[in-house]
Amino acid sequence: MNIVVTIKQVEDPATPPSHMVLGASGKSVQSVSGVPRVMNGYDANAVEEALRLKEKHGGKVTVVSLGDSSARNTLKRAIAMGADSCVLLSDPQWELLDSFGTATVLAAAIRKIGNVDLVLCGRQASDSDAGQVLYWLAEMREFPVASPIVKIEESSADALVVHSLLEEEYQRLSVKLPALLGISSEINEPRQPSPKGTVTATRTMVPTWNAAALAVGPLTCKVDMTKLEIQIRTGKAELIEGADGAARGRALADKLHQLELL
Amino acid sequence: MAGILVIAEAAGTGVTRESLETASLAMRLAAAMQQPVCGALLGAGDLANAAAQFQCGFSALLLVESPQLATYVAQQYVAAVQSLIAKVQPAVVLFPHTAKSRDWAPRLAAKIGSGLVLDCVNVTVEQEGVTASKPMYGGGVLAKLVVHGDPALVSVRAGIFECAQLSSGGAVERMELPQLAAHPGIQHLESISIEGAGGQRLKDAKTIISGGRGIGEKDNWHFIVEAAAALGAAVGCSRPVADAGWVSSSSQVGLSGALVAPDIYIAVGISGAIQHLAGISSAKTVIAINNDPEADIFKRADYGVVDDFKEVLPAFVERIKQLRS
Repeated sequence: MNIVVTIKQVEDPATPPSHMVLGASGKSVQSVSGVPRVMNGYDANAVEEALRLKEKHGGKVTVVSLGDSSARNTLKRAIAMGADSCVLLSDPQWELLDSFGTATVLAAAIRKIGNVDLVLCGRQASDSDAGQVLYWLAEMREFPVASPIVKIEESSADALVVHSLLEEEYQRLSVKLPALLGISSEINEPRQPSPKGTVTATRTMVPTWNAAALAVGPLTCKVDMTKLEIQIRTGKAELIEGADGAARGRALADKLHQLELL
Repeated sequence: MAGILVIAEAAGTGVTRESLETASLAMRLAAAMQQPVCGALLGAGDLANAAAQFQCGFSALLLVESPQLATYVAQQYVAAVQSLIAKVQPAVVLFPHTAKSRDWAPRLAAKIGSGLVLDCVNVTVEQEGVTASKPMYGGGVLAKLVVHGDPALVSVRAGIFECAQLSSGGAVERMELPQLAAHPGIQHLESISIEGAGGQRLKDAKTIISGGRGIGEKDNWHFIVEAAAALGAAVGCSRPVADAGWVSSSSQVGLSGALVAPDIYIAVGISGAIQHLAGISSAKTVIAINNDPEADIFKRADYGVVDDFKEVLPAFVERIKQLRS
């Protein structure tokens, strides 16, 4: 099975807003002082699931990431986990792409990789939280798409049975390959890189494909960011006091009752 | 293309609260644009009653009623909304952000090449065009995004706007659901309801009590369940609790779970990770019970108790019962 996983390097989602600053353009966010960027959480689940499918069916796992040169670190992490090869998609004109633009670049990369049976993407990214790239990508490649996937129940060389989550139910879907899946966190626990994988990753040269290499022309966004604002919450809870835990519990009830909240 | 199309989801014999909230944003935006709003309602059953609940002074109300919408099939929704757009020719389409719309809307956007922003907390008309405000970075950042396209597509987060008022409007018109050939790539085998999600729906709940890692162990979970039963609250949890398998992940509140908008949110043993706080950003009053006074949840909470939940919670619930009787 020839699998491509799209991954994104993001600011550590545990970073509180008080440790965020706007980038020079005012349209990106950075962590202050040395908090390393990480692989988007759902993308790590997608890498893990790809490795499990490869272990079962054989084949190859290629990870691709659209980003600046620092995204090499995240690609190398996927190699250390066990991915076979990686490509960085990078070009100065791709700095502020929307979902449509990102998908256009990824679609070109997948076309260039060729003979892809399955594309796995994280269901959404923890930074921009757009949740759209995988759908645009599926449309451009004319792949059937399902998301968010919480389980791959069966897999064969030409079809999968997957569980796709809705509000209060999940749907069992049969998906014919080639296809694209948006992977959710319920599906697995991503493995840590092995010592051997880490050595392999260190030695890996990450190839870069730019706009010329992918024959991608200038892209006009469907959605343009005009402004970002960091939201710092400075509030403080009113603490309910009492002689002991039970007394505090009762005092809380009284307080809420008095405010006609409960 | 002109005007606004607002698309509601039917629920039971009525419409969802989020649909009415989205309608009120549509009316506000329409006033700013000086353009009309057309309503539309999608559902499987008889929509007559739902239509009566969704009369918000629209220029017209379109009903797409088909048993084929009973099971969610993305292509079916995409085709239905595409036919609505073809008929109404709106400049902007608004709809509530739900598990369904976060799936069909990006498919539709990609198909028709329209700009789309999901899960917005406001939409305004600025010099640059239709502008959506969207929380990013787990709610730590608010982005303003200009949405291009004919039409521009925007889904609206629950719990931000008041419900639209009922008011008479234009004619109600029924539309046929476009017939689709079965999708060659995807076949729906069955729908399975998730254990434990049968109770009160989290995102509709007025009161939610959630437990986090601070509950300590699965055997302590009954404290949360009993308190929820006594308060008439829905049960939620934080991600570590869902990951540990104490509760179904369908109860998970946060960025990767449910985004909720209750009047009262009681967080028990929840530290207040940013991903969790993003899920409760629309909660009106937040109460935290946690024995760690440094927990971030106290920065978000309106009221807090720093103590062992095993002592606080039962006494709190008993007192509430007394006060109510």
